[in-house]
Amino acid sequence: MTKDELKDYIDTHYQDKMKFLDTGRFDLMYEVTKENLLEVSKALRDDENLKFDFLCNLGGADTREHFEVIYSIASVTKRLRLDFKVVFPYDQAEIESVQEIWPAANWYERETWELFGIQIKNHGNLKLFLLPDDWDQGYPMRKDWDAPDFIRMPEL
Amino acid sequence: MGIIKKLPYYSEKVPGGSIVATQLEAVLNFAQAKSLWYLLFGTACCAIELMCTGASRYDFDRLGMIFRASPRQADLIIAAGTITKKMAPRLKRLYDQMAEPRYVLAMGGCTIKGGPFYYDSYSVEKGIDHIIPVDIYVPGCPPRPESLMEGCLHLQEKIKKQKLNNWQEK
Repeated sequence: MTKDELKDYIDTHYQDKMKFLDTGRFDLMYEVTKENLLEVSKALRDDENLKFDFLCNLGGADTREHFEVIYSIASVTKRLRLDFKVVFPYDQAEIESVQEIWPAANWYERETWELFGIQIKNHGNLKLFLLPDDWDQGYPMRKDWDAPDFIRMPEL
Repeated sequence: MGIIKKLPYYSEKVPGGSIVATQLEAVLNFAQAKSLWYLLFGTACCAIELMCTGASRYDFDRLGMIFRASPRQADLIIAAGTITKKMAPRLKRLYDQMAEPRYVLAMGGCTIKGGPFYYDSYSVEKGIDHIIPVDIYVPGCPPRPESLMEGCLHLQEKIKKQKLNNWQEK
């Protein structure tokens, strides 16, 4: 299945749940609502023609307007790649864990939680991962984060 | 009498005899400066230059410097690479495990003042002198092996000036 065929397939079968975003990136990027996340993930994994069985990456983003959580998935047997993201506002920084679909999400979700402060529901192992054990300075990857010894790059 | 030729500053010939008069301080410092065993502690790209310095082209061994994998056997800790805030307590612990007298060489910009991670970084310690006392700073990003060897030679000079009565305090 080529990239265009994959796009056609997804637009045909998942048109009500996945919205195509024309980002100009190499991989296809879709947007999924927070309510549909688990359902879509499970369907993509179990679809006989797609078999997205591998979670390449999972990460957060702060765009100064809202939060995003971006999932990069791949199919080892069908040789496909796909990205999709979930967008939600600052005051609802909470998302379902996708561990039951891709167990590899565990560490990525811990990282997203500690760096962005996005709560992961039903995670079960939300402990500090990359930050020091005694970290108490908030969520450093947020754009408005600040700390006493944090030196911001001066405007040039 | 080869040793006397090699130690002109530390010894003097006694006429007609084979006795060498020198200072205990000088001998101890000489011995210590010429066998600085360093701890293998490379945390980033500086470690590549450290490896290159230890390999046959630059041959750290001719300064009497051999790497040790255990802090108990090391005299010198070459902090080669970025020290993150998570790594800082480990560095402190390794330093504490080393036997006195012990020396620290901060290699590269990261260990001196955060280096390229000075701005906009939440995770990098802005200089290891916040954690442990540093004897020699070797700037560079990363420093070439020549710089590192120069730093070690300076450290040897520093060791040779130690006084016996404040040996522990350096």
